[in-house]
Amino acid sequence: MKFTSEVVIGLEIHVQLDTKTKLFCSCRTQGEDNPNTRTCPICLGHPGTRPTLNKKALEFAARFCLAVGSKIAPELIFSRKSYFYPDMSKNFQITQFEEPLGVGGKVQLKEGKNINLIRVHMEEDPAAISYPGEMSKSSYSLIDYNRSGNPLIEIVTAPEMTSPEEARDFLNRLISILTYLKIFDVNRCIIKADANISIKERDYTRVEIKNITGFKELEKALNYEISRQKKEKVVQETRGWDGKITRSLRIKETEADYGYIIEPDLTIIKTKEFLNQKIPELAHQKAAKYIQAYSIDPVDAEVMAMELELAELFENVVQKVDPKLAAKWLRKELLRVLNYNKKSLKEVKLDEKYLVELLELVERGTINDLTAQKIMEELVKNQFSPKDYVQRNKLEQISDGLEEVCRKVISENKKAVDDYKLGSEKSLNFLVGQVMRQTKGRASPQAVSEIMKKLI
Amino acid sequence: MNNIIKKCKVIDKEYNYFTVICDDAKPGRGKLSGLAISVKDCICVKDVESTAGSKILKGYRPLFDATVIEKIRKEGGMIIGKTSQDAFGFGSFNTNVGLGFKVPKNPFDKERTTGGSSGGGAGLTQKADFPHVALTESTGGSIENPAAFCGVIGFCPTYGRVSRYGLISYADSLDKIGLMSKTVKDLRTVLEVISGYDDKDATSLKEKINFESKTKKFKIGLIKFDQGVDPEIKTAVEGAVKKLKNVEVAEVSLPITFKYGIPTYYIISTSEASSNLARLCGLRYGIEGNPKNKSFNEYFSEIRSQNFNEESKRRIILGTFARMAGYRDAYYIKATKVRTKIIDEYKNLFKTFDVIVSPTMPVVAPKFSEINKMSALQQYLMDVLTVGPNLAGIPHASIPVGNKEGLPIGLMACTDHLQEGKLLEFLQLVEDSS
Repeated sequence: MKFTSEVVIGLEIHVQLDTKTKLFCSCRTQGEDNPNTRTCPICLGHPGTRPTLNKKALEFAARFCLAVGSKIAPELIFSRKSYFYPDMSKNFQITQFEEPLGVGGKVQLKEGKNINLIRVHMEEDPAAISYPGEMSKSSYSLIDYNRSGNPLIEIVTAPEMTSPEEARDFLNRLISILTYLKIFDVNRCIIKADANISIKERDYTRVEIKNITGFKELEKALNYEISRQKKEKVVQETRGWDGKITRSLRIKETEADYGYIIEPDLTIIKTKEFLNQKIPELAHQKAAKYIQAYSIDPVDAEVMAMELELAELFENVVQKVDPKLAAKWLRKELLRVLNYNKKSLKEVKLDEKYLVELLELVERGTINDLTAQKIMEELVKNQFSPKDYVQRNKLEQISDGLEEVCRKVISENKKAVDDYKLGSEKSLNFLVGQVMRQTKGRASPQAVSEIMKKLI
Repeated sequence: MNNIIKKCKVIDKEYNYFTVICDDAKPGRGKLSGLAISVKDCICVKDVESTAGSKILKGYRPLFDATVIEKIRKEGGMIIGKTSQDAFGFGSFNTNVGLGFKVPKNPFDKERTTGGSSGGGAGLTQKADFPHVALTESTGGSIENPAAFCGVIGFCPTYGRVSRYGLISYADSLDKIGLMSKTVKDLRTVLEVISGYDDKDATSLKEKINFESKTKKFKIGLIKFDQGVDPEIKTAVEGAVKKLKNVEVAEVSLPITFKYGIPTYYIISTSEASSNLARLCGLRYGIEGNPKNKSFNEYFSEIRSQNFNEESKRRIILGTFARMAGYRDAYYIKATKVRTKIIDEYKNLFKTFDVIVSPTMPVVAPKFSEINKMSALQQYLMDVLTVGPNLAGIPHASIPVGNKEGLPIGLMACTDHLQEGKLLEFLQLVEDSS
């Protein structure tokens, strides 16, 4: 492949599908979290056991392929990938080799750039290893097979990303698609990336960074790796990311030999019955619709569309409230409050009815922004009627008697008035703040500012 | 301890047919009540040590019954114990037993082999003077071969007919659970119980066995092949066919099967076996070592070096090689394609014939002293007649048809896929005419 960009990045992403049971046995994928409690002889690989396919996982994987335009193979064929590792109950992993479930497809980034997918295949997750204390110092390791046999899809992209930001954007958009398809639970399912990265200055010598969790980490790891490659000699190798730096794991001279054979215990399964699934409208389609129908800011539209819960909330709220106002309050205020509380929209169980009430109070000018913000902060903690709350606490915006308060403040703050006259905007803000204080925040700051300017 | 168990102990002391005898075996009620069932060691029986005849699995007591065992228990069959085999099924003479295991002896001559790999089950079937059927398994001839050498009927159904859930794998795409018995009637009774679809085995078949094929006049294809076949065996098999009444006989040949059968079989079976055996590494079950101051690689290498026998190591190396990048296409992939050709070759014959007949083994049971002088390749060539139907996955059986100097001779009969009913009818015909 001929590259021209300064940086070339390709990703291999492992996504855990949100099925109730594991890929090849009936153990639950969630519930009891004590180590080795969700296991059976099949996911422990006991001699005599054999796998049988969880068709729900195939349905989910096929749904993803359909959504991203990946061509689905007519038959699902599994292979054994052999290597010895303590997290592998059988010392081979059941995965796909020659014929993956999906070939091709693409994911659209912001500004319309497409990242092509090479393949999408299904496989089982190995167990989890933990090293008591620190990996390098621990004299033994512990294995938890609760994860062993969880259903994964591996998504391999073409090396078409040209910056860490793009890689982050890709992963973010991928998560959005997976969530929209209801095949992935962002709070529970694992998503991990292996990144291939090379730079022009080093003749595109390829380095692979293994097992990066989360899109922020991905961006950090790639940024680190670019600066490292610019400073050091680069060899073809596999590196690990520890949250701060990447370190060499092994030098790659040849491709590892996994001795693939067809998994003889699983019959070939026709995929036809999974091809007629309904694919919902995805984030990029929703964003385009919002911009077109409501003329809202494109960034607001994209941010809201990316998160299914937020998008659904927005679509319901705009039935009753002005879309631009709704967009501003959901995209900026609601997200700010959620971020501050480190909660997701799903977790706070926000009652849509009360949110609409709150936005209507703002729309009608019954309360000012400041009051609305404070109510929003309360609303993500517990549910109540903002209308009753405003009445009970007398929080309605006031306009009568404002001028009188302003005069009072002017007479009490001679210095600030003088400074403002000399051109200090800050002093005006101070004077407005004093009025807000005396009115217990119920005045409109814009209105107060106008009155002040008139009076001084 | 019941009488049958006592008898088993006496036989075992002399012939080494068991790896485990179930002292507390109890008869049950159902279609199989009154029948003692011995189980090849590779078939899992809950809480009973199941090692597939190997040292590395010593101490493995499965947490579950194989589906066949469940079915047998439900119909009142009495599980009497686990029978001897070449470790993992890797052998033709039951001499490749696991380290520390005893080699079973031929019921007609203790200096000779029972055949393998299901040698224990075959010898016991011959020696048992009580109603008994042996539950055994064939990958490339492990039922037919010892059945022929021990003078009993060995029956292997269509691939997928009997659930393999609970069978410790040799080569999954070839492994079939089958039976040994002295009478066709008993085979039929037990086959009816153990066959059928199982949602725990994805390769198990949904179709039911048609036990009444009502074949009026059997059209028999007699395989023309005498390379390395003892002329007396050839004569005995042809003589047995001639004695059958109301049949049509014609000579047939299977050129692809006889030219490529052995290499195809050994490539596919060792490729799969080497991956199946990877899990045996001294963790989780079976033999355990001392991991102190050893890395994972050092630990499992030591366990495997010390506890696999020579033939297991040979097949692991062969199989790993055949699926390595660079050789995979030439060996493993090629072999899977040849297997399809072999299936086609049989299918083509079944357009004309009801059964295909040949000797089961090219020789009668050899002496241990003769086996010791044979190379691995010479031993593999013993499977020349049995690998064909095993690769094709078609039902096949060996039935005694006379002897040479007191040693039994087996006739092998094969029918098309799913035609177990027809095969049983043919075996009945042979049984009735002898």
